[in-house]
Amino acid sequence: MQVVVLLAGVVDPKWRLGTLGLRPGTAQVEDTALPRKLSPFDEAALETALQLRDADAAVTVTAILTGGAESDGLLRAVAAFRPHRAFRFGDAAMSLWDPATAARLLGAAVRAATEAPALVLMGREFGDSDDGVLAPALAEAEGWAFCGLAHRVALRDGDILLHRTRGARDEILHRRPPAVVSITNERGNRLRHPLMKNVMLARRAPVEVVAPPTAPPPALALRAIAAVPPAQRGGAGRVLTGPVAAQVEELAAYLRASTTGAA
Amino acid sequence: MHDLCALIPLGDPSVADPFAAVAAAAAIAARSGGRVRAILLGRVPDADAIAAAERDGATDILSAAHAGLSEPPQAEHLLAAFEHLLAAETADTLFLLPAGAVGEELAARLAIRLRGVPLGRCTSLDRDGGQVTARRASHGGRAEARLTTQAPRCFASLRRPAAAPAAPGAARREIMLDCPLPNDVPPPEIRHTAGEQARRLEGARIVVTGGRGMAGAEGFALLRDLAALLDAATGASLPAVDAGWASVGQQVGQSGAFVTPDLYLAFALSGTAQHLAGIGLNARIVAVNSDPEAEIFRVADLGLVAPWQEVVPELIERLRAR
Ligand SMILES: Cc1cc2nc3c(=O)[nH]c(=O)nc-3n(C[C@H](O)[C@H](O)[C@H](O)COP(=O)(O)OP(=O)(O)OC[C@H]3O[C@@H](n4cnc5c(N)ncnc54)[C@H](O)[C@@H]3O)c2cc1C
Ligand SMILES: Nc1ncnc2c1ncn2[C@@H]1O[C@H](COP(=O)(O)O)[C@@H](O)[C@H]1O
Repeated sequence: MQVVVLLAGVVDPKWRLGTLGLRPGTAQVEDTALPRKLSPFDEAALETALQLRDADAAVTVTAILTGGAESDGLLRAVAAFRPHRAFRFGDAAMSLWDPATAARLLGAAVRAATEAPALVLMGREFGDSDDGVLAPALAEAEGWAFCGLAHRVALRDGDILLHRTRGARDEILHRRPPAVVSITNERGNRLRHPLMKNVMLARRAPVEVVAPPTAPPPALALRAIAAVPPAQRGGAGRVLTGPVAAQVEELAAYLRASTTGAA
Repeated sequence: MHDLCALIPLGDPSVADPFAAVAAAAAIAARSGGRVRAILLGRVPDADAIAAAERDGATDILSAAHAGLSEPPQAEHLLAAFEHLLAAETADTLFLLPAGAVGEELAARLAIRLRGVPLGRCTSLDRDGGQVTARRASHGGRAEARLTTQAPRCFASLRRPAAAPAAPGAARREIMLDCPLPNDVPPPEIRHTAGEQARRLEGARIVVTGGRGMAGAEGFALLRDLAALLDAATGASLPAVDAGWASVGQQVGQSGAFVTPDLYLAFALSGTAQHLAGIGLNARIVAVNSDPEAEIFRVADLGLVAPWQEVVPELIERLRAR
């Protein structure tokens, strides 16, 4: 059973974005100088794939990281978890802003891994520009089944079993392969640590790169991107000092004043 | 110029504010003109839903009912029914769906099925001639992107705008649908989570949230006691969910619930952009953090520089004594 996990990485959230912008004359984001990490959802999707592999010898895991050479360090970090195969797909110029184009490219990436994918896993958000469109867009573009925001995945008799939480209800869904599943973070899918031995091996191994097909001009054009200051919020910004007991008394009074009439 | 049409799935309590899409469409129309259509889709005709859509500014309401829909409806069924309803749609249209897991999945899938452009969750949308301009948050809310398209059909999800224009009154039409719904996707097994999510984050007037600094499930148990005293919902930052101290449904932020309480009590969380992205701008934030340099104090109405261990038990005691 072929499991493909698609990874995008994000700019390290602790890093300042001051230099973020478009490459002059293009619709491509210039962020190659900023350090990259796997996002929590990349990590959750990768761990989910590794657990499926650990549970079933018939599962083959291919990990695909999108991006250019700036992502090679991240690909090596992924390879250290010993998926059956790991490759980088694309180049720094590949833009995933137009979902229809992105879905086509991601479909090609999956096909570069296998002609018969059973399960494609990806994070609930794919990289820094996606808010959850790309996974369902890929499923629709390929005619594959879809489940969004799962946090636990199991394979049973060729069927895919998915746990997810929606509002106040927990759901267990069944999907027949091939399916795209987007993964959200949970305690059960926190990424394990790789063996140091495998980290060293991955550091020396060559990086496999698959070139993307040429994409048609996107219907949705990225015109500008820039860092923005934190949203303005009202608020007194009063920070209490002094003995904690007095601070707590003041907080209690604040809460009483805020909640009278409410309860 | 693109028409505006809100697509409203009914019958799923996890869609916290289905008519947000109508209000968002009305706000766009107030800026750039045009009528605001709303298509409501549910298992049975719903007079309350029609009234709500009208209140939020719809001028043409189509209420469509399909007896084959379950409650809550399956995404695949909603997709088939909306696809059927939109088949006759020829005019250039900007379709709006309510922000949240359900609306966002529907927007993305409908767009690809109907060869439109999915715009994702937008912070603002403008139409000018044949062009649609969308603004979206990226990089965890630390950056903003501006995107344009000439595509005739666009699909976006939006949150309820801060200010609502006056509702002009609506023309209403009701239809019963009997288009085939796919029967190859089994319905989910549904379990209602007990206890801790009894109070929904969305819609709560007070939210009590814990972060990584809570350092364990015991601290979260105390936060739940505090929340019970305040009739508040309990939330968590991503690391707290990862640690298993709170459930996935309690995550607040860019990648979790968007909450709009009056009061947001933040314990032992640092106040990253990704977390603040899940808190409405009108919420007053109260922060308790042992680090006086914590970012959260920059956005707090009231801050306590103290370890939560010295604050929470005592606060509970004082509130009990009131
Ligand atoms: C793509 C992406 C999406 C993300 N989405 C989200 C999201 O939706 N929601 C989210 O929350 N995060 C999200 N994150 C994670 C985010 O970047 C931060 O890692 C996270 O918000 C930090 O959580 P925290 O404030 O609990 O932890 P920390 O940043 O580690 O802060 C812990 C705080 O606790 C304080 N503290 C420690 N001990 C005590 C004590 N005894 N008493 C009082 N205070 C104490 C510390 O001073 C510190 O300020 C996302 C990240 C990425 C990359
Ligand atoms: N080699 C690695 N590659 C990718 N992620 C890792 C690696 N080692 C640890 N992690 C993850 O990185 C996170 C810790 O991030 P940080 O605290 O920012 O160093 C944890 O979620 C780990 O699971």
